[in-house]
Amino acid sequence: MSSTLHRRGQLTAIAELRWRMFVNGLRSKRGKMELVSRIIVTAAFALGGLGGFSAATGFAWYFVSQGKAEYLATLFWPIFFFWQVFPVMATAFTNNPDSSELLRFPLNYSSYFLIRMAYGFFDPASALGCLALFGILLGASFASPALFPCVLLVILTFALFNLVLMQTVFAWLERWLAQRRTREIMGVLFILVMLSFQLIGPMMERVQKKPRPELSRATQILAQVQAVLPPGLAADAIAQTTHSHLLVGFSSLLFLGTLTAAVGSLLNIRLRAQFRGENLSEAGARPAVAQPQGLQVGWNLSGFSQPVAAVFEKEVRYLARSGPMLLTLVMPIFMLVVFRLGPANPLRQSNYLSRTPDMAFPGAAAYALLVLTNLVFNSFGGDAAGVQFYYASPVHFRQIVLGKNLIHASVLAANTALSWLAVSYFYGTPHLAVTIATVAGLLFAAPLNFAAGNLLSIYSPKKRDFATFGRQNVSQTTVLASLGLQIVIVGIGVAVFIIARLYKNLWIAALLFLLLAAISIPIYVITLRRIDGIAIQRRETLLAELCRA
Amino acid sequence: MDLAPTISTQGLSRRFGELVAVDGVDLRVAPGQFFGFLGPNGAGKSTTIKMLTGLLAPSSGRIEILGIDLNAHPVEVKRQIGVVPEGMALFGRLTGAEFLSFAGRMYGLDRTTAAKRAAELLEFMQLADQPKKLVTDYSHGMQKKLALAAAVIHGPKVLFLDEPFEGVDAIAAGTLKSMLQGMIAKGATIFLTSHVLEIVERLCSHVAIIHQGRLVAQGSLEELRAGVEAQTPAGSNDDGVSGEKLTLEQLFLRIVGGERRTEQELSWLG
Repeated sequence: MSSTLHRRGQLTAIAELRWRMFVNGLRSKRGKMELVSRIIVTAAFALGGLGGFSAATGFAWYFVSQGKAEYLATLFWPIFFFWQVFPVMATAFTNNPDSSELLRFPLNYSSYFLIRMAYGFFDPASALGCLALFGILLGASFASPALFPCVLLVILTFALFNLVLMQTVFAWLERWLAQRRTREIMGVLFILVMLSFQLIGPMMERVQKKPRPELSRATQILAQVQAVLPPGLAADAIAQTTHSHLLVGFSSLLFLGTLTAAVGSLLNIRLRAQFRGENLSEAGARPAVAQPQGLQVGWNLSGFSQPVAAVFEKEVRYLARSGPMLLTLVMPIFMLVVFRLGPANPLRQSNYLSRTPDMAFPGAAAYALLVLTNLVFNSFGGDAAGVQFYYASPVHFRQIVLGKNLIHASVLAANTALSWLAVSYFYGTPHLAVTIATVAGLLFAAPLNFAAGNLLSIYSPKKRDFATFGRQNVSQTTVLASLGLQIVIVGIGVAVFIIARLYKNLWIAALLFLLLAAISIPIYVITLRRIDGIAIQRRETLLAELCRA
Repeated sequence: MDLAPTISTQGLSRRFGELVAVDGVDLRVAPGQFFGFLGPNGAGKSTTIKMLTGLLAPSSGRIEILGIDLNAHPVEVKRQIGVVPEGMALFGRLTGAEFLSFAGRMYGLDRTTAAKRAAELLEFMQLADQPKKLVTDYSHGMQKKLALAAAVIHGPKVLFLDEPFEGVDAIAAGTLKSMLQGMIAKGATIFLTSHVLEIVERLCSHVAIIHQGRLVAQGSLEELRAGVEAQTPAGSNDDGVSGEKLTLEQLFLRIVGGERRTEQELSWLG
């Protein structure tokens, strides 16, 4: 009895804690803004949820009344995907400190398990998923009232499966994201998955071109596979009942229940490990035998001072150790591949480069500049507390900024060269005039980007972790300013190429870009000269933002 | 002989909106002193050390380090000082050797000298056995040692340390202390803040205490002791121990008025 009361007290305390955190968060202006945006987001979610509910109700009613209840799988699958993928995309990449923080209190394991499940139940994805499932229940029951008990049982089991799976995914993600190495691997995998989404369109186009028999065989295999997976099992359990195959329907439900239990046991393993206080320290044991290493002399950058070379070397090492950043930087090449795989329909935008291959290289170079935005416009973000070192050291800030810009320029040059090779391979060697015009265009665009990026890096910095991915903090000012600048630069670039094309001479573009570069380079130099004063003026903002825990 | 101070401030103040974090502080630290800067939480220690090292602009007042005006010639001052600030200022995604070599070059050492000193410092700090490990994967104590190594790689004349012993084990603390004492023996000046009063008492020859942004005491330990004892009845102290020297903790508690009231107890505590 007292144990039950004790547990109830703990659960109430946790609920109150979350409420107090929410209320206290409203004390600041930022918190109030958060509340307003949350209300807007919730309203949008509610609308989406009602849409999903209506669609699920209507389709469920239609499928069941037409005697095609197996088609309910087409409703269960989207619900399943939304329930599992949305929370991962939205919040998985920020650490949820609650679970580890709660463990220092005398909670018993069942309370801990219950709390984790409750967190999952109040997730927006769960709420919307449950709403859509309720729609299926209503639709199917209206179509065939006798089905109600069966559909209710199936839907409860399916909801439980989704809830448990979501928590299992979160629990394991937390485990993998807790350590730098596994976090980096996850980061690379995440970006690869995101990139693979880009390929879906072109691949679908190719599949559709294949002969019909092959396509229908693939569809059949797919249907068989989905039937033994949870959404398919849920649909099958209802469909078999409508066809009076009660035993087969029950076996599908039983299988779904077994899968839920299996996933639950995986969750149990993870939560037990957390509950016992697992050690995820990355400090590691000292090696029994010291690993001797020769003298590591820093890099020399002829023509540049020691601090500039040191900053350049440091930036190269940072980049080289950041899987997510490296992957982002190869995006221009990847996009060329996507465009190359694009559909053959001449009206489609993706075929534009096939029709005007001359524009492939300028396009790829512009994209190469664009992917640098993250680095250039928040160049101190990755330094975090290290930025104090810059202020404490006897170095002018312009030297530090120059070292950073050198690496930006090097990455841009490497990316442009690779893009040239890729364009040559996919679309044919770009004309010399196009190549020169593109390089001249970069000479105009890059200094402007660097000048603006240097200023914004100091005026609105945001701490970022090179090892993580997904939801990094972004300054809205930086986003808007960089977007505006890119629009202006791309606009000028397009105008220059249009003028050159009108005169049917791309050398005109090269000349115009060189003239523009003669303006943008001095702008960069002037900004760089003034950066020391600006950095001193803004040091408190920079240090406060980047050194916070 | 009154030597020109290594660190001196006049009317040093810092405001954050309405809050006056540091209020008219006049500090004088003579060459070769091991100087402890003490104060309760929120007293203004870190704000002061940030201003002394150029990490924070004073609202008013003047700072001179080695006779050079910090505001007018920050780079010249920084060339001669070493700093371990509150957040340690490390670059997490470098190895220890890479970071020290980087730090050395930022302080003007050539590549070879920076690399040699980095290797020596790693060896001295017992950080050399895992050369491939990134700083972000170091334990807290290892990071402290590395931060200190980076602060001394250029052989500074003045060293500023903000809580250097926080989170450091006894062995590492021993290493740090012996290095700092070696520096003092060679004529360097060290300015440190710490909450561990026993360490300050053992290491520091001179102490200043800041309370609610104001400097409430400054001098050698003997001078502080004499000042406090002059205000209490002869031959006794409040702890009821007659004739014994007051420890720094006792001095500190008396000066900042933070002595615990013995009658105030928590009856339900075991």
